[in-house]
Amino acid sequence: MDSSMGTLRRIAAVILVTAAGAVVGSAASLSFASGSLGAATTAVPRCTTAGLTVFQNLTAGTVSSITVGAIPATCGGATLQVTVNNGVTNSGGSAAVPGGGGSVTVTIAVPPAVTASEQTDLVLVGP
Amino acid sequence: MIRHRVRVLAIGGGILLGVGILPGSAASLTLTSQNFTPYRTCSITATPATTTAMTDTTARQGTPAGNFGALTTLTVSSGSAVNQRIYLRFDLTVCSPAVPTSAIVRLATLRLYMTAVPAACRVLDLFPATAAWGETTLTWNNQPFGTTINSPPTASRTGTFSVGTPAGCQNLAAGYVTGGTVTTDVASWVAGSTTNFGWMIRDDTEGSATTRTATFTAKELATTAQEPQLVITYVTVP
Repeated sequence: MDSSMGTLRRIAAVILVTAAGAVVGSAASLSFASGSLGAATTAVPRCTTAGLTVFQNLTAGTVSSITVGAIPATCGGATLQVTVNNGVTNSGGSAAVPGGGGSVTVTIAVPPAVTASEQTDLVLVGP
Repeated sequence: MIRHRVRVLAIGGGILLGVGILPGSAASLTLTSQNFTPYRTCSITATPATTTAMTDTTARQGTPAGNFGALTTLTVSSGSAVNQRIYLRFDLTVCSPAVPTSAIVRLATLRLYMTAVPAACRVLDLFPATAAWGETTLTWNNQPFGTTINSPPTASRTGTFSVGTPAGCQNLAAGYVTGGTVTTDVASWVAGSTTNFGWMIRDDTEGSATTRTATFTAKELATTAQEPQLVITYVTVP
């Protein structure tokens, strides 16, 4: 029984080490086979490096939504996440990018007041 | 003992499935990372009306010694001895967090709210100002570009857009104008390679026989939804 428990622990340790390695190695592709472990780092290209238009839609002195335009078709199907921060309020929302790209309007959950400057962070996740 | 091994493998299979391995494939594991495309934007808005984050005024040839920094409108006009030019400047240091000097500016857009549209399509040009000027002191006579019309030449403009009611013009109706792309200027200011003195906007062909005027909202109107804006979209990692 002790021997079987020891085997159990060893196998569990191998699995945990393997799983940890997969997380720590921020690789685009990681493969391993029994008896050997190989790792490689591959850059995953962004769907665009173009300049996107980012326009605030203002309602009653607040930023109610953000319209992001000039999104190329290569980003079609991605999820656009937007966060607006005016130094006091930080809020955001998300929306899907149409298959052909184009323009997306994201409604801000808690519209921050318009101030002299707002920071808007965008992340296209995927496609 | 065999019973325990089977149990462990079952647990292990659960973990492996969690990271994306195909069921039944015990010899290899493939992970795919998600594609992230991040951008950061600083939007500078001319609000409130007393803000110093943005300054704007109009130089009027017809009143060459007058200052119009307190008006609620900005005007570009082409006419015989009545040309008008807009001067405006956004203070990039109000961006919070600050735009790093190493940032790569992907796009910078000037947004002006047009309230009166000329009946003819007019091309308006932006030129980066070459010297400091004051919102409450600038006049036609002391403007940085001098009093000669159609100077500086069109070839030195760094941005342009068209306004007017005729079909085919870029901006046909009242509202925020599009096309005021000023990426090169803003990138240069962010990097510190040139000094931000703002822009001058003039009609591409000053001295028109028929006076043509485009009117925009100035910050002094204090209407948030019409205030001039500068939108800078950038990345910090190429």
